[in-house]
Amino acid sequence: MASISIRNVRKSYGPLEILKGFDLEVADGEFVVLVGPSGCGKSTMLKILAGLEEATSGIVRIGDRDVTDLAPGDRDIAMVFQNYALYPHLTVAQNMGFGLKMRGTPADVIARRVADAARILDVVHLLERRPRQLSGGQRQRVALGRAIVREPKAFLMDEPLSNLDAKLRVTMRAEIAALHQRLGVTTIYVTHDQIEAMTMANRIVIMSHGEIQQIADPDTMFRRPANLFVAGFIGSPGMNFVKARQLEDGRHAVLGQAVTLPVKAATSDVIVGIRPEHMLLGAGALNFAVQPTLVEGLGSEKYVYFDIPEESRMSVPATDDGRKAGRLIARLMNAGPVRLGEMLTLSIDPALLHVFDPASGKAIH
Amino acid sequence: MRASALQQAFLYAGVILTCAILIFPIYWLVVTALSQPDQLRQLPPNFWPAEPRWGVFAKIFEERPILLWLGNSALAAIGAVSISMVVSVLAGYSLSRFRVRGGESLGLFILTAKMLPATLLVIPLFGIFRTFGLIGSMWSVIFAHATLIIPFTTWMLKGYFDTIPRELEQAAMVDGCSPLGALFRVILPVSAPGLAATALYGFVLSWSDYAYARTFLTSAQGNWTANLGITTMKGEYISNWADISAASILVALPILLIYLFFERYLVGGLTAGSDK
Repeated sequence: MASISIRNVRKSYGPLEILKGFDLEVADGEFVVLVGPSGCGKSTMLKILAGLEEATSGIVRIGDRDVTDLAPGDRDIAMVFQNYALYPHLTVAQNMGFGLKMRGTPADVIARRVADAARILDVVHLLERRPRQLSGGQRQRVALGRAIVREPKAFLMDEPLSNLDAKLRVTMRAEIAALHQRLGVTTIYVTHDQIEAMTMANRIVIMSHGEIQQIADPDTMFRRPANLFVAGFIGSPGMNFVKARQLEDGRHAVLGQAVTLPVKAATSDVIVGIRPEHMLLGAGALNFAVQPTLVEGLGSEKYVYFDIPEESRMSVPATDDGRKAGRLIARLMNAGPVRLGEMLTLSIDPALLHVFDPASGKAIH
Repeated sequence: MRASALQQAFLYAGVILTCAILIFPIYWLVVTALSQPDQLRQLPPNFWPAEPRWGVFAKIFEERPILLWLGNSALAAIGAVSISMVVSVLAGYSLSRFRVRGGESLGLFILTAKMLPATLLVIPLFGIFRTFGLIGSMWSVIFAHATLIIPFTTWMLKGYFDTIPRELEQAAMVDGCSPLGALFRVILPVSAPGLAATALYGFVLSWSDYAYARTFLTSAQGNWTANLGITTMKGEYISNWADISAASILVALPILLIYLFFERYLVGGLTAGSDK
């Protein structure tokens, strides 16, 4: 086990800058998740850490060693790939022992460590099979087994659950988290799925366009997002944003209602963020009437979509989930029947509103 | 339903016609080999000889050093394929995996070598081989066939390597392999069907050559390949086409057997990646 230090790592392909100065300190035994939309540079960063890509500049240290210029095999890390990357011509046992064999480990030691890992991952009965004879979940376990057999200083995981179906993903998510708790190995995990990030990480690094947007634990990331991007990315569905004009009495007009914002806004006009789950059905501190344009029932909860007046709309959507700028979502728990077109009264506690600077997009706390 | 049955009938008719067109020359070769030489030109033609000359094959073995010719052809093919595979594996892998300035143009340049007719290369190759004293030696056809095979096999293997996920060698490198180690320990074993198909294709290219053998080996009878040997059975005024056909069957037989034996690898190798 070891700490990991990444200092000012940059990566460019010609004029195209993929990573614009990445800095991260990972403590020994920590589980850090790099999350962000496709093309944000998270997988590139992981490959630089693994030695599979060369950084244009910057320093990578694993433990007390500068590994920036070392070959992947000399970094003492193990990697789990999105498509598992199991060697198809080798059996499960040979796959798991391959890394040790390459390092000249005696056969009896390899056999013992493979057996131990197989027991932990419950793949003992699969050891003589070939990868093509395994299901997706079994392949994923073997890929994890190949990583843990090596007893490396750190695990690097590149979207390891993306190829699994939704149900299996939930199971494997819990298994990886449990495995980390059991082994305590420093882990850097890349995903585009914010739910994986929120449920597994000690700390989340959220990235966009090659830049770190925020580094925080999941709770802080959700409660105190650093900017519009983080606020829109974390949470399911993402945060709603509306324009709020400052009134003469210092309060702000939020969806047509005069509200005292929970923070002292630096600018006169601000962007207000409302979490979909913070909207409640029925009257409360801050009420507004909406006309649902779409209702998605998920059993225990309903997603109610509604359009807002022109003056409250942002010019461009702040979230990348395909929502229109003028359309908001309320996530209503245990709501009764909600009919399209029928007026609803929703309420929100003004203390739960998030406030952002419209020019920089940064949160105002 | 009716249209579908009609479509199927057309499809079957097309398949049968195509097979007939492809098989007829082979069938006619067999008929020619088994017929009496004086019956070959009769009209209407005999579609099966009244008294097949089954002994013609034994006669060819007695009268001509056919085993020596076949051995030379095999030697040339094995030598050329061995050289070609070493070059093509490294070249195809590099073209598939490494992005270098001008790499794509280089790949296309390799292919243009194949677009030139073999006869165009005969003269410069003859000059080179004469300089190195290789004319009449088996090495001349081995090297010449390699120049013929390498462009094809390089592109075939590049296509095959393209279908293998990069993560496989990345995993091998994280596991402690060097890039070359990852190629030999992981990529090549995984590519076995593609390698077999490519090698077989190269073997067929070498086996079917006549022009290079005719140019470089004419003076050395002991090194004649099967195709070159067969053409010497053709006389200036009279040719025994029945015997020539029988010898042609004997020469085609090894390649046919190899095809039958490796057919599943060949088809697997050529269609690999089509499901990606």
